[in-house]
Amino acid sequence: MTGLLNILCLLTVNPDSIPEVIDRIPSGYNHFVIPFLVGITFMLIWITVGLIRLLSNLTREDRIKLLLSWINPVIAWKNVRDLFCDCLFHVKIWKRKPLLGYMHSSIAFGWFMLIVLGHIEVALFVPKHLSFSEGALFYPIFYRFFVWMNPAHVALRGSFFFFLMDFFLLYVLSGIGLAVFKRFRSIVLGMRHTTKPSLADRIALYSLWLIFPLRLLAESFTADLSGGSFLTIPVNHLWHLIFGEKLWIMPVWWAYSISLGLFFVTMPFSRYMHILTEVLWILLRNAGIKPRHPRKGVAEAEIYACSSCGLCLDACPMNVQKKNLKYSSVYFIRFLRRKNEKKIDQIADKCLMCDKCHVLCPVSVDAPALRRVQRTTVNNHLPYDLSYLKAPIVQAGGSWSESLPMDSLKSGSNMESSAPEAVASDKVLYFAGCMSHLTPRIIKSVETIFKKSGVDYVFADRDGGICCGRPLMLAGKTDAAAKTIAANKEMIEKSGCKKLILSCPICYKVFKEDYHLEGIEIQHYTQFVNDLVNSGRLKPAQSSERLVYHDPCELGRGCQVYDEPRAVLGQVGELVSAAKERDESICCGGSLGSLTLDARDRAKITESSVSNLLANKPQTIVTACPLCLKTFAEAAPDSVHVKDFAEIVCSSLE
Amino acid sequence: MVDFGYGISPSSRLDLDKFDRKTFDLLVAEEPDVKKCIACGSCTAVCAAGKFVPTSLRSAILAIQNGLPDKALELLKPCQLCGKCTLVCPREINTRHLILSIIKIYSAK
Amino acid sequence: MKNNVLIIGGGPAGIEASAQLQRLGYNVILIEKGSSLGGHLSKWDRLFPDGVHADGVLSSMLKNMSGVKSFTDTQVKSINRLDKSYNVILSNGISVLADAVLLASGFTLFRAEKKEEYGYGIYDHVITNADLEAYFSIGSDSRIDKPKKIGFVHCVGSRDEKAGCRACSKVCCATAVKQACEMKEEFPDAEVYCFYMDLRMFGRHYEDLYLKAQKEYGVRFIRGRVAEVSENADGSLQVKAEDTFSSKPLKVTLDLLVLMAGMRPSDAGRRVGDLLGMSVEEDGFFAVRDSVTSNQRSPLPGVFLAGTATGPKTLPETIADARGASMEIDRYLTDVFPQASDYKKLIREKW
Repeated sequence: MTGLLNILCLLTVNPDSIPEVIDRIPSGYNHFVIPFLVGITFMLIWITVGLIRLLSNLTREDRIKLLLSWINPVIAWKNVRDLFCDCLFHVKIWKRKPLLGYMHSSIAFGWFMLIVLGHIEVALFVPKHLSFSEGALFYPIFYRFFVWMNPAHVALRGSFFFFLMDFFLLYVLSGIGLAVFKRFRSIVLGMRHTTKPSLADRIALYSLWLIFPLRLLAESFTADLSGGSFLTIPVNHLWHLIFGEKLWIMPVWWAYSISLGLFFVTMPFSRYMHILTEVLWILLRNAGIKPRHPRKGVAEAEIYACSSCGLCLDACPMNVQKKNLKYSSVYFIRFLRRKNEKKIDQIADKCLMCDKCHVLCPVSVDAPALRRVQRTTVNNHLPYDLSYLKAPIVQAGGSWSESLPMDSLKSGSNMESSAPEAVASDKVLYFAGCMSHLTPRIIKSVETIFKKSGVDYVFADRDGGICCGRPLMLAGKTDAAAKTIAANKEMIEKSGCKKLILSCPICYKVFKEDYHLEGIEIQHYTQFVNDLVNSGRLKPAQSSERLVYHDPCELGRGCQVYDEPRAVLGQVGELVSAAKERDESICCGGSLGSLTLDARDRAKITESSVSNLLANKPQTIVTACPLCLKTFAEAAPDSVHVKDFAEIVCSSLE
Repeated sequence: MVDFGYGISPSSRLDLDKFDRKTFDLLVAEEPDVKKCIACGSCTAVCAAGKFVPTSLRSAILAIQNGLPDKALELLKPCQLCGKCTLVCPREINTRHLILSIIKIYSAK
Repeated sequence: MKNNVLIIGGGPAGIEASAQLQRLGYNVILIEKGSSLGGHLSKWDRLFPDGVHADGVLSSMLKNMSGVKSFTDTQVKSINRLDKSYNVILSNGISVLADAVLLASGFTLFRAEKKEEYGYGIYDHVITNADLEAYFSIGSDSRIDKPKKIGFVHCVGSRDEKAGCRACSKVCCATAVKQACEMKEEFPDAEVYCFYMDLRMFGRHYEDLYLKAQKEYGVRFIRGRVAEVSENADGSLQVKAEDTFSSKPLKVTLDLLVLMAGMRPSDAGRRVGDLLGMSVEEDGFFAVRDSVTSNQRSPLPGVFLAGTATGPKTLPETIADARGASMEIDRYLTDVFPQASDYKKLIREKW
């Protein structure tokens, strides 16, 4: 009351001498800010302690890596770009589900802008309140309570800011509206399954929902004092219409403060911690720091960066059966936070490692990698005996193991072929891998392709060989895998080849990423055939057969090879698309990644994958992976053919 | 009782009384399909490591049931977890998981 | 008025039942989707355990069929129940009012290409048991080229969850031993191996056949399932199995591999069964009224079953089954049709 009197007195004196905006409450404080202060202080202490603990848990070399990443201009730019695109604009969600992307980004970006603009407003109009002693912590949040707008002196700048604040408030409210609607009809926003919130999640969620309507309420109650724009002023008039001249502003401001305080107090225990943690996670991730433990160190940033948005629920191929929802990444991360060892193990062992949840995650949380790290903590110390891995010499025409008589050495290579111009200049080593031996049409087709295009090749494991090592890695036995890789590496490097061709994507991924073979070009056979076709050494004939290509998990999402197989298949038949393909392709269900998934559950996954492929009614399903081939061949209906990539290219050559 | 035999070497007879039911039940809880094995030998036939060193899931299961768990462990240590055995098992046993479970349970005791 | 009996399927079961029912005085109509009668029997060479010639057996069965109206290249187009009988419209336009229907649709051989690791259809020298019988009947097969080492793989598509069939196909073991002996007769210098999981020599004289295979022909029996076959550059096959008796994986180079493909329910039979609303069991064969005492009756009134339509059987068993079904049909027709008024009650209580 006194404040208002003061203002009226000043007004009568000289309106122009009074600044645009003044403190309505000179002390710059009111008791109602206490709930908010309690909340935000608690939260700030929590995250500071957490941050210190996390950084101290990093190894020294990881810390150096982090510091260096901030000086590196490429990574620094990536950090800035990711912070804006992932944290604020949620570009990854926009790309796949626009309405959902709008919902998330409106709340994130809108709230961010409200906070930023609020601070700018304070800086412009009442800059003294930017100092900590004058209430910097709460003043900008409750700006419209504390100030009085001089109606005679409203400049363009002032109205511009009012407009912006109202605009962003409306923007956030639209997102909140969608969020409330999503709880009832999530499928409209493109989500079949949504995450089950925990108790802390629920409290934080409901208080978050209340914050912005209460803000609108509070700011509109004081809009005739502090000023407003297209949203708050009309609502203010509405209140005056309903309640008359006198508006009880204190209760609504208290309510607003309480909802904020409640949110910040529950935030560290709920999914909303991601708001701040994802910033740290992005910095750590872009610096190239990988989790060594599923919960401690970097992993802690990762698991708290997860916002429980639930996009991984629809991504996971196992969730074609509702009973498997509990194995999804979002719940895995929840159990990691709660340190529930038994559940963590159970979920970690089930995963197919198809990587779809990682690809669809808005913050790129790599839950499959965390599962692999968990498996390592359990399985790596198990006894193993790989002493039989010596390194026998791979001769020019020989195969893997014990020295063979000379006439069987001729069986693999093309060296004695007729005309010199038919023989290629580089020597190619073909490694079929464990699985291809159980799908012999792949081997036969690849060898035919080599012969018909005049490639000089050696079939490394014609008589069977050691596994490439990736299945051991996927199961968490990283030491055993390292030994296998070392033994195989020696053999390959001694063979003198310049090019290594794989027919299995699992082998391809591990040879490309973990073997570090010097001077040897590593290609999957789809890429090799594409090169052969482009250089004219292979001439497939076009047919009208309708083909659909299945992207194997390890080749597509695992190695980003999407285009080469399609380029070739387009020249072999009429290529149609599946309902979901490329990085959204559905795992065939046969993956080695899962340790405990049983045959019946796998059959259901295969069924959903097949019906995804048959969406545009192809005659033939084509895959580039022996496991996918075997899985589909056993499960596809009799009306559809299942063929391997090499097989169909071969048959088009005849 | 007359003491026949040659004293130094123990009997090479299998003694089914030595079968450790309790540990086997732990294994069954982890992978119940271990009871389904018909010992057809497909797993041993395709084994990637089996070419170089004696390793056989069929033999390992047999060894456990015959009361020789250490032999079972020795037989499974060379396993590369490549998964070929899982692809051919006619009883659809998840052999990779079974191998991991045997190693886990029988190396822990 | 003589009752009409429609027999669907012109294999041994259908032929035998038609002969029996004709003799009992019924009006028998037999339809067969193929172009000749005889089913799988017409494609076989010699039968186990004694090596009797199949064509002799078939012709003597066909001789008993005089009076039976049989139609080849004919299938069921539609079938529905009308009061006490079934109104069946055939693909040749004829419609039959059948008072009893006997489904003798037989079996289809398991498609061996589905077990890709054996290389059927991929490698040059892999054939099935059916291909081998055809070879013995006709005399030539491009895949059989003076083999010196021959292998038989038991249980292809049987006892195999991965192939979608848990059941044993019963007859393949005896067939394999028979064919092993026949191959030894054809190629006396060849080494013949039989790779088995269990050797099911259950019938009369089967053990004698087994003994003969070992003693007289020197067939090698190896207990271990063939799990992987690869091809050498010269087309010979590298077979991998485990010799479970010595607990060691083995390999052997062969010139010919014969896959003993199992018995799966007939696809055409399934189609007719669906038209009738017949239930099948988990193994895919038709369900019977009672597996011990009522194997020729289906759960539907007036529909009977005979032969391999209800599961793998040997030829003598099929013939006996057909005769049993004929008896059941005779009992049914003489019981039900004279007492037209109590039909529904009769069906409920006894049939």
